[in-house]
Amino acid sequence: MNRIQSKLKENKKLLSIYLTAGYPNIDDTVTIIQSLEKNGVDMIEIGLPFSDPLADGPTIQDSSTSALKNGMTTEVLFKQLKDIRKTVSIPLIIMGYFNPMFQYGVEAFCKKCQELGIDGLIIPDLPVDVYHNEYQAIFEKYGLINVFLITPQTSDERIRYIDSISNGFIYMVSSASTTGAQSGFGSEQTQYFERIAQMNLKNQQVIGFGISNNETFTQATQYAKGAIIGSAFVKYVTKNGTGSINKFVDTILG
Amino acid sequence: MKLKICGMKYQDNIEHVASLQPDYLGFIFYEDTPRHFDTKIPEISNTIKKVGVFVNEEISTVIEKVNEFNLQAIQLHGEESPYYCSILRSTELFSDPEPIEIIKVFSIKDEFNFAALDPYENTCDYYLFDTKGKLPGGNGYRFDWSLLNNYPSTKPFFLSGGIGLDQVDDIKKFKESEAYKYCYALDVNSKFEKEPGLKNISILREFINKLNDKKTMNYNVDEKGYYGEFGGAFIPEMLYPNVEELRQNYLKVMAEPDFQKEFNQLLKDYVGRPSPLYFAKRLSEKYNAKIYLKREDLNHTGAHKINNTIGQILMAKRLGKKRIIAETGAGQHGVATATVCALMGLECIVYMGEIDIARQAPNVARMKMLGAKVIPALSGSRTLKDATNEAIRDWINNPVNTHYIIGSAIGPHPYPDMVTKFQSVVSEEIKWQLKEQEGRENPDYVVACIGGGSNAAGTYYHYLHEPDVGIIAVEAAGLGVDSGESAATSVLGKEGIIHGCKTLLMQTKDGQITEPYSISAGLDYPGVGPMHAHLCKTGRAEFMSITDSEAMNAGLELCKLEGIIPAIESSHALAIFEQKTFKPDDVVVVSLSGRGDKDLENYIDYFKI
Ligand SMILES: Cc1ncc(COP(=O)(O)O)c(C=O)c1O
Repeated sequence: MNRIQSKLKENKKLLSIYLTAGYPNIDDTVTIIQSLEKNGVDMIEIGLPFSDPLADGPTIQDSSTSALKNGMTTEVLFKQLKDIRKTVSIPLIIMGYFNPMFQYGVEAFCKKCQELGIDGLIIPDLPVDVYHNEYQAIFEKYGLINVFLITPQTSDERIRYIDSISNGFIYMVSSASTTGAQSGFGSEQTQYFERIAQMNLKNQQVIGFGISNNETFTQATQYAKGAIIGSAFVKYVTKNGTGSINKFVDTILG
Repeated sequence: MKLKICGMKYQDNIEHVASLQPDYLGFIFYEDTPRHFDTKIPEISNTIKKVGVFVNEEISTVIEKVNEFNLQAIQLHGEESPYYCSILRSTELFSDPEPIEIIKVFSIKDEFNFAALDPYENTCDYYLFDTKGKLPGGNGYRFDWSLLNNYPSTKPFFLSGGIGLDQVDDIKKFKESEAYKYCYALDVNSKFEKEPGLKNISILREFINKLNDKKTMNYNVDEKGYYGEFGGAFIPEMLYPNVEELRQNYLKVMAEPDFQKEFNQLLKDYVGRPSPLYFAKRLSEKYNAKIYLKREDLNHTGAHKINNTIGQILMAKRLGKKRIIAETGAGQHGVATATVCALMGLECIVYMGEIDIARQAPNVARMKMLGAKVIPALSGSRTLKDATNEAIRDWINNPVNTHYIIGSAIGPHPYPDMVTKFQSVVSEEIKWQLKEQEGRENPDYVVACIGGGSNAAGTYYHYLHEPDVGIIAVEAAGLGVDSGESAATSVLGKEGIIHGCKTLLMQTKDGQITEPYSISAGLDYPGVGPMHAHLCKTGRAEFMSITDSEAMNAGLELCKLEGIIPAIESSHALAIFEQKTFKPDDVVVVSLSGRGDKDLENYIDYFKI
């Protein structure tokens, strides 16, 4: 079984953290991953930086621009992750935009991910139907789980379609926004969380976008299997460096 | 002659086959065949009729299937009687009030007694002649078509039975024969399959192309939003509802008579169309060809951009949108958007790179005077590409009340097609204007500069499928194609994804999008619209690159020879005459996409005027 699937079977709420690879410094990627695992994080999204990250707000954009300036590339990331499975056992997901993967070659990219022990991919600008028609077979061949996003605007019908071709979890975007735009959840969001919870989907959901502290983490995981923190973590390492990640995780888990 | 493709089975395959635009698609509801249809029919164009094929089926089942699958025709392949056919012709049986077409099949082996048709003369709409074999249809070999020379009826018929790619020549011969007179359609099936029910798209396409005897590459968008391999909608899920709403509505809205009326009225009274097609006499003398200029520079706001913004603001209103966003580079599209928002009283927000704001102050002031809010794009390289990113982010954050007016033939489907259609008024006018002046609609060449490609798309549109019209696309080479400071995407670009579409774009080996350079702010975009990528890849258009200095000189030359100060973008198109020699009687139409007022500073600096 894929590590993501086993993790989803555990009887606890999951904390997943996003980091931008090669940020704040080019060699921080592996150190941050190790430290996150050590401090009790359940799952990690490794952001492969892109020059034009359409779905991201300023925090992740800026960290991506810095990482690219630091010299991060697909090749460099793969080199950094060469021995990652010797020290890290939680699920690892690469999150990135489609063009860099397309240039690397989708099949070559997936093959490399399998070799390194990557468990899944999140590619916000690879639409569900294109994945379904052109790439699903390749992902499956290399044992990779592709994670799709849904938003408050996604129709029930489309959610069912996405659910039918997912085999890990569904990434629930908390509100109509880019990353890092929200602070706190209002009744609109909780209604949406409830609506999805009641759909009895085959795949469990993990909520992301706008989760930044213990309060929002607790709120989100009331309705979903877990929650993903991105911008708040990137902000934290921008300010505090990579030495005190334990403090960040502790405040989230409360 | 129409085309029916029969034996459809798989959803994806159905969509692909539908993109070839046949006239009929056949679904076989007879159970004892490997092509038995038992799933759902995806959404396909309503210009394609769906035919249900039945063999001695219960009438009630036929009715059920027609209603369930919204079929427009019934093909009867068994021993159905004339009475059976006549029952199915009564429209009350079906939920759709349009009369259903009845196609009665007759199988022919070595001979055929045409008297068998008599009882059916008044009970069906078409006959279909198939080869007699073990199976009811799909036997894979043909009968002797010359038997049809004795066809006694005047009822149109389908010709079927083992038709394949290798028979194109025979079909052409058949077209010359007496028997062809009432032949209404060809019906193909097993010869175009990878396996029963799974059609081979490329062989089908080749068949259609050969049959039509044209270089029938399709240069328009297909049903899935692609131009050949380019286009599509590579958008984050957050944008899906917005783009999907537009995709589902744009053609419908554009076809509404009152939309067209309002659009045409505004183009005439507000924009000042038709724009003149001006024979540039002195320029023609200098370059020894007949050069015409399509004067988009005379439009209100000074460029072709307004054709698109008028169209899109009317679209936005019909979709009930209250807030308009746009991106802009030099500010031309921003001004055109702010203008139509003022005209319609809608809120307008324009994203513009911080660097561009500094270098295009007059256009920033114009937008503000017109009531728009100009928001600087501070991310990335702080120019057009980043302004586009910011506009897309805004749209993600405001999915319900906002329409995004994209300024060129770029972005996710349906934008490239929608923008192209709004701009197509340019070539529509060229056709009749040239007819008046030259006695013919088709020039020998149409020429336009390409940033994202909207003035070019409009200039080419009605000529794309006219093989005698050469298409020339002019890109900005900046300081030179190999200088590292260029925007010549067709030379420097590779296939990739930018702003929601698959196209040619400038990027690093690692797939990061790079920053282009051109002296003309309107041409410095790292991609081209997907239609142009397709025109480039197929060789339909000739791509040329023009450097900053070549363009500037051509611009100044137009001032001196014709008394017209062109936009620097348009100057790129004019510069080709120094590079390419035409024949003296060649008629060359150049899109003069905009006027040079906005570029005076640049001209002044460059020529130290
Ligand atoms: C006068 C003029 N011509 C051409 C262009 C290039 O755009 P497109 O390629 O979409 O026609 C612009 C863009 O700003 C422009 O202002």
